[in-house]
Amino acid sequence: MKKLFYTGLLGLFFVYGFTTIQTTDNCDKKTLTASCKKKMEPYKYDSQKFTKIMFQKKTQQLEIEVPVFIGEKYRLVFNTSSLPKPVQVNVYTKDKESKKREAIYSSKPGENEIVFDAPRVRKLYVDYDVPADSTNQKLSGCIVFMVGYK
Amino acid sequence: MLVNKKSFVLKSAMLIATGMLLASCGSETPKEDNLSTGTDTTAAEASVEVEDVSYSLPSPLQIASIFKKSGLKYKEGITSTLKDPSKYTTNVSKALNLGVYSADLSYTVLNKQNQEAMNYMKLCRQMADNLGMGSVFDQGNLSKRFEKNIGNEDSLAYIIAELQMVTDMYLDENDQQEVTSIVFAGAWVESMYVGSKVYEKGKDKSLNSKLAEQMTILGSIVNALKVQEKKDAAIGGLIADLQGVKDIYDGLPSVKDHPEANDDTEKEMSLTDDEVSTLTTKIEAIRTKIING
Repeated sequence: MKKLFYTGLLGLFFVYGFTTIQTTDNCDKKTLTASCKKKMEPYKYDSQKFTKIMFQKKTQQLEIEVPVFIGEKYRLVFNTSSLPKPVQVNVYTKDKESKKREAIYSSKPGENEIVFDAPRVRKLYVDYDVPADSTNQKLSGCIVFMVGYK
Repeated sequence: MLVNKKSFVLKSAMLIATGMLLASCGSETPKEDNLSTGTDTTAAEASVEVEDVSYSLPSPLQIASIFKKSGLKYKEGITSTLKDPSKYTTNVSKALNLGVYSADLSYTVLNKQNQEAMNYMKLCRQMADNLGMGSVFDQGNLSKRFEKNIGNEDSLAYIIAELQMVTDMYLDENDQQEVTSIVFAGAWVESMYVGSKVYEKGKDKSLNSKLAEQMTILGSIVNALKVQEKKDAAIGGLIADLQGVKDIYDGLPSVKDHPEANDDTEKEMSLTDDEVSTLTTKIEAIRTKIING
């Protein structure tokens, strides 16, 4: 009886632990932020943006507008390591409605930590091209994006 | 009797474990739980709001730093008069005035006004307490480190940047992104007010073009606030005020005559003294409204 009791208790705690792991995504913002901050040196921290990515059956394009100032030097740092599937990160000088825009940065496959020192521009537009997910697994994760200046 | 006791313990253990299971379902990432239950995809996806376009606004410290580089001198008596933060009762007025204090903190730190900087740091802390986020000042001993490094401009600027980072993280974790935009709006108004007041005295050309350049981010501020408007209807009044400034700016002859409008050119723009004066009057009115709560 005693053995049965402890086995049952152990089983329940195992199920509890497993459920907790399953319902929590991998977006540890503190760790991701610390990692970005490290890559930001010697630039000064300016702002950061956490973007929750929910993979859907269709592709998505999420955009972040980043106003910048003439004469300042900017560094953009991204961490995409919490994503279950790769997301393409592109940086443009014009928004996604503009037909004349061109990419000034595109992430390479397998790149989880991105550091990009921006050229002299008036505005930056960061686009996340999120691929479709047809697996019905409801995949999610987050991207941490940090801006620094000097 | 012994069997009954064991049975009681077993039942209690199972009850506790079941409770923990239920608690884990209820407290961890509720939005994701909806998605993992295998319900209708469209309904589940609709429950998560992801904006197609969002905005990453700069920090008050960067604005102060840009003005400082352009030659903005310290002028006594133009920063906000120290007030009792408890007079601000709405979340919007608290966040706006936290922005005002943040801008004044950056301005005084970069101009080595130690006592003033200490006062504004305390006011920022009190205002953050009023907004329920005072704990960010205790992270990494930021408040204490600020006091310890008073007089060392570089260290203080670094501490303010760190404070900005923990604040950004706190607001995101607590789903209060609207506060970030409102705080920055307050900081922007205060920075423009201080910049234009200093410009009135010296008519410095470099400062003039920096004031004009600051106007180009106003559209991003307004749009960032619009995204958050549904969270707090009181943001609507602020949007209208800032849009009013933008409309005046867009209608100025120097702006209209400028090739390629605001966003596309790398050339620095300058405004006439009358144009700066027109903008200053409008910004001053908004600033008074913010400070009066």
